[in-house]
Amino acid sequence: MAMIMVEPVRVRLVLPRTPRAELLATRAVEEAGHRIAFPRDTLAEVKLAVVEACLNAIEYGTGEVEVEVIAHADDAHPWMEVAVVDHGPGFDPSGVAKPVLSDKLRSTRKRGWGLELIRRLMDEVQITSEPGLTRVRMIRRRGGR
Amino acid sequence: METFELKVTDQQGNVAVLEIAGYINNEGGEVIAKEARKLIDAGRHTLLLDLRATRIINSIGISLLLEVLEHTLEVKGTLAFCSLTPSIAKTFQIMGLAQYTRIFPDRVTALTELLPSQ
Repeated sequence: MAMIMVEPVRVRLVLPRTPRAELLATRAVEEAGHRIAFPRDTLAEVKLAVVEACLNAIEYGTGEVEVEVIAHADDAHPWMEVAVVDHGPGFDPSGVAKPVLSDKLRSTRKRGWGLELIRRLMDEVQITSEPGLTRVRMIRRRGGR
Repeated sequence: METFELKVTDQQGNVAVLEIAGYINNEGGEVIAKEARKLIDAGRHTLLLDLRATRIINSIGISLLLEVLEHTLEVKGTLAFCSLTPSIAKTFQIMGLAQYTRIFPDRVTALTELLPSQ
């Protein structure tokens, strides 16, 4: 039986440094996801994770924030891959403490949930970071998580 | 769909319902926190946030909801949510919010539980 290779759907964008720019990335995720019939609820979780990655990149990065969305249309196992790249000072992902709600409620700083949400909403997350280049690559499969 | 809107649609006893539509980010979260503070100060110590028309929320908006939660806990009140999308419900579950708030499938169920029986 012949195998039919379907090219992945790729969307690349550079986010402007304007309020709600992260929503542009969610539209790209939605569009690419629809093209491979990715389940709506799973796509919604990918969008939440991508929002967090973009917010971090916009807040801590400098210069352009680049987003690449790739939707892989493998018939049995379609999957979404999103990379968010910024050119900020970089950070050590292992040094980011896991947030605990009871601690946050007692603290004046209630933020710090982004990375945890990304890790829990996606199937795979790889973060490479050095001064000038941070790349967060996230993968979500249909039926994952 | 992403334009933020907040309406206080119902106030009975010490319960107030805040109907929220659109993206809960820093701006939307600030609006919710400000309105919640006003309602709590006016004696509405049980707040029900109806998120039926909210599809997306970010962690900055969530941190502002935590401020609302803190205020309701200070007055021994209740923060409740209803009509969450599956992805927002999962986000709240990841954070452990169910431990400190009440989460209902819809507004009717929520009000049945939250309003004192006549």
